[in-house]
Amino acid sequence: MINFILPLFGRFHPVLVHLPIGFLVFGVILIFLFGKKYETYSQIIQLAFLLGGISALLASLSGFLHYQNEGYTWDTVKFHLILGILTTLLSCGLWYHLKKAVLTPVHLRIKGAVLLTIIMLTGHLGGNITHGEGYFTEVLPPELQSLLGVEFSNTEPLELPYENWEEIEFYTGAIQPILDQNCISCHNPKKLKGELDLSSFKAIQKGGEEGKILVAKNFEESALFTRLVLPEDHEDHMPPKDKRQPRKEEIALIKAWIETGASDKAKLGESKITERLIEPFFKKNEKPFYPTVEISMLPLDSIAKLRDHGFFAEVIKEGSPFLSISCVNFPEFSDSDWYLLQAAKDQIVYLDFTETEITDAIVEKIAMLPNLTVLKLSKTAVSGAGFEKLVSNKNLKLLYINDTKVGFEKLGALDGHPTLEKIFAFNTSAADSGNYSQFSFHLETGNLNLPPLATDTIVY
Amino acid sequence: MKSLDKMLVEFAQQKLATQTRRHFLMDCVSKVGGLAMAPLMFGCDTGSSAASKGLNLSQRDLNPLAPLPPPFGAKAKSIIYLHMAGAPSQLELFDFKPELIKYHNKPCPDSLLEGRKFAFIQGTPNILGPQANFSQHGESGAWISDYLPHFSKLADEVSFLKAVHTDQFNHGPAQLFMQTGSARLGRPSLGSWVTYGLGTENQNLPGFVVLTSGGKTPDAGKSVWGSGFLPSVYQGVQCRSKGDPVLYLDDPEGMSRNLKRNVIDAINTVNQEEFNAYGDPEILSRINQYEMAYRMQIEVPEVMNINDEPESIHELYGTQPGAESFANNCLLARKMVEKGVRFVQLYDWGWDTHGTDHDGSIDMGLRNKCREIDRPISALLLDLKRRGMLEDTLVVWGGEFGRTPMQENRDGKTQGFLGRDHHVDAFTMWMAGGGIKPGLTYGRTDDFGFSGIEDKVSVHDIHATILHLMGFDHEKFTYDFQGRPFRLTDVEGELINKILA
Repeated sequence: MINFILPLFGRFHPVLVHLPIGFLVFGVILIFLFGKKYETYSQIIQLAFLLGGISALLASLSGFLHYQNEGYTWDTVKFHLILGILTTLLSCGLWYHLKKAVLTPVHLRIKGAVLLTIIMLTGHLGGNITHGEGYFTEVLPPELQSLLGVEFSNTEPLELPYENWEEIEFYTGAIQPILDQNCISCHNPKKLKGELDLSSFKAIQKGGEEGKILVAKNFEESALFTRLVLPEDHEDHMPPKDKRQPRKEEIALIKAWIETGASDKAKLGESKITERLIEPFFKKNEKPFYPTVEISMLPLDSIAKLRDHGFFAEVIKEGSPFLSISCVNFPEFSDSDWYLLQAAKDQIVYLDFTETEITDAIVEKIAMLPNLTVLKLSKTAVSGAGFEKLVSNKNLKLLYINDTKVGFEKLGALDGHPTLEKIFAFNTSAADSGNYSQFSFHLETGNLNLPPLATDTIVY
Repeated sequence: MKSLDKMLVEFAQQKLATQTRRHFLMDCVSKVGGLAMAPLMFGCDTGSSAASKGLNLSQRDLNPLAPLPPPFGAKAKSIIYLHMAGAPSQLELFDFKPELIKYHNKPCPDSLLEGRKFAFIQGTPNILGPQANFSQHGESGAWISDYLPHFSKLADEVSFLKAVHTDQFNHGPAQLFMQTGSARLGRPSLGSWVTYGLGTENQNLPGFVVLTSGGKTPDAGKSVWGSGFLPSVYQGVQCRSKGDPVLYLDDPEGMSRNLKRNVIDAINTVNQEEFNAYGDPEILSRINQYEMAYRMQIEVPEVMNINDEPESIHELYGTQPGAESFANNCLLARKMVEKGVRFVQLYDWGWDTHGTDHDGSIDMGLRNKCREIDRPISALLLDLKRRGMLEDTLVVWGGEFGRTPMQENRDGKTQGFLGRDHHVDAFTMWMAGGGIKPGLTYGRTDDFGFSGIEDKVSVHDIHATILHLMGFDHEKFTYDFQGRPFRLTDVEGELINKILA
């Protein structure tokens, strides 16, 4: 029956620890304030250290019981415990020293300062155990953190090879990396939030303060999964609301792992999961279509001004500085209107001049757009004169010259353009002549047809 | 100007008529209360309203179709969706099942029928072998039947989804499900979502246009291109497939364009006052529709006119100006996308091949339907490809469900013609263009073509993928309605990663 007394007393540790801090700090303040007139205040100063000593003893005892009963490792509490006991001894010692002293004790302030330092250190180490080691540094700006040499546990997101993914071990190769990235900054052997360690298979089996977190083949009973899918503002949601959240594909994989038996040995191929679950983790060596240079955004009112002039003007995606410009509602655009676009010179990546009144003179201007990727000049008067200048568009990938008078010989100037992938030249003289395969880019001539078939006219 | 003054006076009087002493007292109470409530109510915002989505509210309010950037990089900026209403038979077009030949006219195994419900099939039907000749085409080796001889030459341009499944076996609900993500009425269609999210590029044309052919509109009615709970300005604009695409585009005699402008300006001024007084966004939709109608007068006749297209184009598409045809609609779709229309939806009716009559037979009627679309669809793909439009235009083809591997036995009787019943478990769709990996066959069905056995794809998956290609995360693209955020994909939908380029 009495078994519960000791753990219960242990659990009073978080309350009791504040008492010695209060008493002893108060005592040290008294020493600093009234050290000169010690005789007058000796009784109250002694009382402060007496109470400090007693409460420190209680705190140390409860702390030791807490350590014994709540599963903390020796490594975690070692220094905190030692310093706690030291605090107890020193405060009791100081009280005894003061009580026995006939005259004002020498170096009293130094002795007080030493005791203060030790109790502060003890408190800090205790705080680290409950709040985590990065408690103070976490909130600092990243620059300051790196200055202090804080190590980030920011491991890379899970990525799997496309070849032989079946051979990868489900747990070691996929699940643990997901936990490493999303969970173990709080749930590691040192920090043990909720007394949960997610850094190894064994530790995961053990569970946390609320018991098992993993029930093989039953994801609904496994907190390892259910906590992740609670609404984000639910107090049991993991990771906590303000922390980085795992991708839903990662959560799906954890679910699949539990469903298929939560084994530490099984390979991905053996667990009979569909490839579709794995696909999102395959390494993508997808090259971004538009340039990746960092440039400043055009001010919103400048974009609004472009729209007022009649352009379609929109960034290619939210937050991107790159602009898509089209003259779909500005058919009267001519060379002399170029100045309107001058301010957006660096931002334009997509430029559609289809069916406008531009002439060959515009090519020289277009050549000044460093990030231009798609250029549409279809149904205009351009003849291809000056196309060699487009070599200075170091990002140009697609060029549209459908329904223009551009001649085949003009395209030679673009041969060897390092980024140009395709030229669409349907219904031009360029498309009608010459050897198309000689270019470094693909020339789409549009000479495609659907010859009539006998079946076209058979009615059944 | 005089008439405008008159209208404003009338408006002011009307407004006064609605303002009694009781209204005044009521307003005093409700507005003071409102002031106090305002901060509390904002607390109810579920975080996906226009403002938090980063929309420029003022610009959007004044012009609900103003273009917006996609939240993520988009692979496609326009969509042409070809919906074969009635559901074409995948077993005669793309899903070749030689096994069915062996079992032709033999009773369907009970294991397939157990616990199943069909729209018309009763008891134990017989298996019906494929009625078309299949061969593999292109470098990709995709199976396409001789019902689509032209299209089979473009096998390498498209990506087939062979194991699509739905959960509705009647046309109306299935069409609604395919187009709005829900079998029940009231949700916005795919085109409305996209137009809501991206606006329209060409300010003189609607962002979402619907063209129908085949003599009938879809069974589900106009809701398949409706805007549901989104503001009505985002619903599809149906253009007539015969005669003038939009009625009253020409100015009537004696009515000059300037006069019309004045009339519209006057009406809009009054409507604007109305909006200032009541703040109902539907009034802005109204203003915008007047403006749009006025601007459409310039652009629509040009875009919708196929008479002036060169002879080579008519030959390619098989178009006949003036007729109502799928071919005309395909050409119009290309022309509209070229002009910056965001979403063009084509419905072709007449694919419901039950075998109850000649037109509904899979060996005759279906062939005729296929001939009607074979050249136009192939021409559309070719035309988009050579103009470079396939780079950023997504083409989707499909029906609302598939057809059974069994011969239909309506009322327990043998039908006079060969036909198949509605089938939800597996059917074929294809996509091409903007962001789709060409020449791919994704998904596989069992030997009877009854169910998908590999890489199954749901309707929500298709929606998720289409939204992804247009630059949206289907899980984050929401609209607040009745106290919760709504998505096109509800709580489902997975990207079909494999078919993405």
